[in-house]
Amino acid sequence: MRGNMKTPVSVLRLPRGPDPNSRGFDPNSPRFIALCPTTLSSSSSSSGVGDEEEQRLRSDLRERFLRTLLLMTDKRVEFNMHEKVRVRARFGASDIDVLNFQVCDLETPLGVQKEALLRCQDVISCSFEL
Amino acid sequence: MEALDMRVNTIMGKLPVSMAMRQTPLTCSGHTRPVVDLAFSGITPYGYFLISACKDGKPMLRQGDTGDWIGTFLGHKGAVWGATLNKEATKAATAAADFTAKVWDAVTGDDILTLAHKHIVKSVNFTQDSTCLLTGGNDKVLRIYDLGKPEADPLEIAGHTSAIKKALWCNNDQQILSAADDKTIRLWDKNTKEVVNTLSFETSVSSMEYIPDGEILVITYGRTIAFYNAHSLDLIKTVDAPASIHSASLHPDKDFFVAGGDDFKLYKYDYTTKEEMESYKGHFGPIHCVRFSPDGELYASGSEDGTLRLWQTAVGKTYGLWKCVLPEELSSENSEALYCPPAEIKA
Repeated sequence: MRGNMKTPVSVLRLPRGPDPNSRGFDPNSPRFIALCPTTLSSSSSSSGVGDEEEQRLRSDLRERFLRTLLLMTDKRVEFNMHEKVRVRARFGASDIDVLNFQVCDLETPLGVQKEALLRCQDVISCSFEL
Repeated sequence: MEALDMRVNTIMGKLPVSMAMRQTPLTCSGHTRPVVDLAFSGITPYGYFLISACKDGKPMLRQGDTGDWIGTFLGHKGAVWGATLNKEATKAATAAADFTAKVWDAVTGDDILTLAHKHIVKSVNFTQDSTCLLTGGNDKVLRIYDLGKPEADPLEIAGHTSAIKKALWCNNDQQILSAADDKTIRLWDKNTKEVVNTLSFETSVSSMEYIPDGEILVITYGRTIAFYNAHSLDLIKTVDAPASIHSASLHPDKDFFVAGGDDFKLYKYDYTTKEEMESYKGHFGPIHCVRFSPDGELYASGSEDGTLRLWQTAVGKTYGLWKCVLPEELSSENSEALYCPPAEIKA
């Protein structure tokens, strides 16, 4: 018998609390990946659009996007961005994950920037002449 | 935080010495208003899960054995009074003061279905195969929704003369148990929609739990925790607590039950002998709900103080985030990696 000593039970850490910036349900969790393999909800599979058709459409859209980037090379492009920003520049290339666009001669209110990277998540749309 | 000494030599088995252990509950924060209901899922390949209903309108899903937050179901426009998960934890349902019950995808957090009612909805319960949802609330009517045909009108069962607090499927989903403010608990046949049996009380029933394995009904009212046969509604036994009890839960092995209520404490009783075994302080407000996990290793309590706390059934055992540490180890260098909560917390 140890007398009156009360040993507190140890805990490895406290339970994780909510993320203030998101509602959670991490799409990278093993459970999510196993139970939600496609982005289409299961109810739409009954409408006749199967997984194969979705994949074909996705491939088509991806190819069109990549071809558009190729066509944009060395052209003057107008970028429409958040916070009502519109800038023009000569498009160079995109990085592999489409996170940044390399551009030159970027026209800004502060002057023309010889070389610049545009953050893709800030770009809403872009337009150019073929 | 105080707790009664717990001599663990028998329960822990492996420890050769008798040890006095102080219960360290895991506190889950995140809710900003009282937690009024909670429910566990069954055991899934990804563990088991816990959903909490809160007056802040934002029910949360947590990993059951650690209390880690997984996600918040956003959409209700009022206090959420009831929440439940299906066995596989793939669907959730919630009952709210915005006069709706909602069905959610518990993996993505998406709102799948909104079921409009004519008054505050208090209780939601899935059938075992998750195909039907039972709802009950302040309009005194029980409703059964076929989730395969959500557009169809629900089956309605009327009879209660006051707001329904809790409605549960029982007897292989062939019958329904409902507890209402009219101080009755009624057993209904789902097919005939007729009352099969009624229990009347002197005071409103505060909570109800149905244990399918063994067909036991756990009811609380006043300071009493009562156990009934869920088929015959015959009384098995009653136990009186030191304070008014709002919720109780029977351990899956039916050796203990826990209860909590007005005095902010959790009580643990031996089911066979009816003796009070342990009691724990920790919450800063009345306890509204308490439930054992499906494996019986822990129980969760929800309180007016806005927190959920997870408590060990066998104090000191290594499980989830709790680690069994022998007193010699605690004072040695090796204990650096462990989080040791402060020894005494003044309330």
